[in-house]
Amino acid sequence: MNRRTFLKTGLAAASLLTAPPLLRRALAADPVTFYGLKSMSGAYASYGEFAEKGSKLAVDDYGLLLGEKPRYVTIDTEGNPGRTVRKVQEAVQQQNARFFGGCTLSSTALAVGKEINKVGGVFMTPAGADEITASECNKATFRWTVPTYGAIQETVRPLFASNPKAKRWYSITPQYVFGEALLTAAKNLFAELGIEHVGNSYHSTQEQEYSGYLTNAAAANPDVLLILGFGGNGASCLRQAANFGMKSKMTILLAWTQGLDWFQSLGPDLLEGVYLGAQYWHQVDAPVNNALVKRTREVYGINPNYPLAGDYIITKIIFDAAAKAGTADGAAVIKAMEGMRYEGPTGPEMIRAQDHQVIKDYYLLRGKAKAAMKDRDDLATVVSSGKSFPEGDQILCKMS
Amino acid sequence: MLYLFQVLNGLGLGMIYFLISAGLTIIFGLLNFVNFAHGAFFMLGGYLCWSLTELTGNFWISLLTGPPLVAFLAWAAEVTLIRRIYRLPHTFHILVTVGIALILQETTIMIWGPIGKSIPVPDGLQGVVKLWNFTYPTYRLFLIAFTSLIGFALWYLLERTRFGGLVRAGSESAEMVALLGTNIHRLFARTFALGVGLAGLAGTLSAPIRGIHPFMGPEVLGIAFVVVVIGGMGSFTGALLGGLLVGLVQSLMSTLWPEGASLMIYGTMAAVILLRPYGLFGRA
Repeated sequence: MNRRTFLKTGLAAASLLTAPPLLRRALAADPVTFYGLKSMSGAYASYGEFAEKGSKLAVDDYGLLLGEKPRYVTIDTEGNPGRTVRKVQEAVQQQNARFFGGCTLSSTALAVGKEINKVGGVFMTPAGADEITASECNKATFRWTVPTYGAIQETVRPLFASNPKAKRWYSITPQYVFGEALLTAAKNLFAELGIEHVGNSYHSTQEQEYSGYLTNAAAANPDVLLILGFGGNGASCLRQAANFGMKSKMTILLAWTQGLDWFQSLGPDLLEGVYLGAQYWHQVDAPVNNALVKRTREVYGINPNYPLAGDYIITKIIFDAAAKAGTADGAAVIKAMEGMRYEGPTGPEMIRAQDHQVIKDYYLLRGKAKAAMKDRDDLATVVSSGKSFPEGDQILCKMS
Repeated sequence: MLYLFQVLNGLGLGMIYFLISAGLTIIFGLLNFVNFAHGAFFMLGGYLCWSLTELTGNFWISLLTGPPLVAFLAWAAEVTLIRRIYRLPHTFHILVTVGIALILQETTIMIWGPIGKSIPVPDGLQGVVKLWNFTYPTYRLFLIAFTSLIGFALWYLLERTRFGGLVRAGSESAEMVALLGTNIHRLFARTFALGVGLAGLAGTLSAPIRGIHPFMGPEVLGIAFVVVVIGGMGSFTGALLGGLLVGLVQSLMSTLWPEGASLMIYGTMAAVILLRPYGLFGRA
């Protein structure tokens, strides 16, 4: 062997030795990157902070996905649909982004879902508007949240069953699509159950002063006050209803609440005895929830709330579907998600293929007295839970 | 009976709106300064109330100490920053005060977190007063009485004291007042602190009714501007009547046309501007 042959052989051997990892890296797809659409600034930043924690936890705790550790990128929605769509377009064009999850506002979720559908991506959201999995549904968009129909069915029905003498109900409703959807669902159920709807007061979503509407409600002398406002609307209405002494005069039900963080902001004095609808509750005994509670306490030192749990499971579902599909191709991941059954934070959950709606439990909670609380987050007890979703002809989704 | 009760409710609401807007109109009327940070100082008053109540367990201590703290912060902001821009056009006032509002909002999130908080109604004022078939919160009745007292005290301060006279003279001709030997900078700093302190007081008093959250400033600022525009920019009496008018309109419309109750506040403002472009008590 001359010097030239020796060098050639040595180089070839060295190449062979180093080739497998290099080849593996070259042939493997890019790591799956999840783009979290979170309201990190603006009026909904309180929601985005927890949603971000949920997605990050899911990413950090996930092992290898398609041979690589998945990556996470935050896109700040700023609570602004127009800006979010532009940021999503940039991520798609410049970074070949395909997997998205989050959105606090329904208007943002609807706009983003359409955009992601155009590029064959996947988008899962906890946003509230029924249209997401009904008239505005599309192939790319999935939703974890129970729609308004289920929220009303799982709160009004069990509350009325527990107190059938409470036949006079008054509602206070924010006048926009979400409020109207809740009110329509409530009116339909009132008619079915023989409940007398003694009145309704609409208010604007910007409303902070509810004394006038509460006076209307008091004049109608109802057995139950049904508050259909969400977030700040619901909190202000409940706070002022308590100021006006209505808690002791009638039963109060808030059909759709934000959950633990919202309860913390109100405190036990206001919540005691009030009925509260919730998408998620950290005390639910389910394997995935128990693990999530444990990890959230370890990592963040808090109990998980609805935004955290929602965005955690959304992120995990997309990763699980990519792992199941064995590819990061959007169409294949969508196919893997359709009909997928899994253990979620509310127990067994399933993604309905027909409209991409997650079939999961919704909870009726009751605010606890301060003296009955075991810890500072033990603010409510689960009265009932169940799954109620439009079925058959009532499913309005025509998948595009 | 329902409408009579809504009138009472509207008066109570109007007094809260008066308190919110009184500081804004004093600052604009006397200093010719547009304070877009007024809502943020209102929010700060609410948060200080929460912290002091948590710390001491006593709402009344927070009522006594919170608003002066807000006023002190305003004085510091005036001395270090705001007095440098009085002579500049209003656009600069807006730019600087919006900046202050954003700083206060983000600082609030850093210190107290993004989630809102509730403050219990103080002991002794927690119940309701029964009027015919209706109930009215005792705390709101207290607010009507307390705000009336504050309103009278402010009127007395501005109309019957040497300080008030100097401030009113300063608003007409600052140079002349300065030439007569008054330290005009000190006078303006105290007036600014007084106006912002009233925002802090309004935030403290409103907290048990409305709760607090970091984004409440802009919401309150909107109503405060409506009241000031209706009453006339810079008019103390206008702020009182404007606040009462807005409260009555909102309360009565809650029964007559609930979905338009908020809209009619702005409708009232538009009507007043059409009939009296400078507001009910404004000067050209």
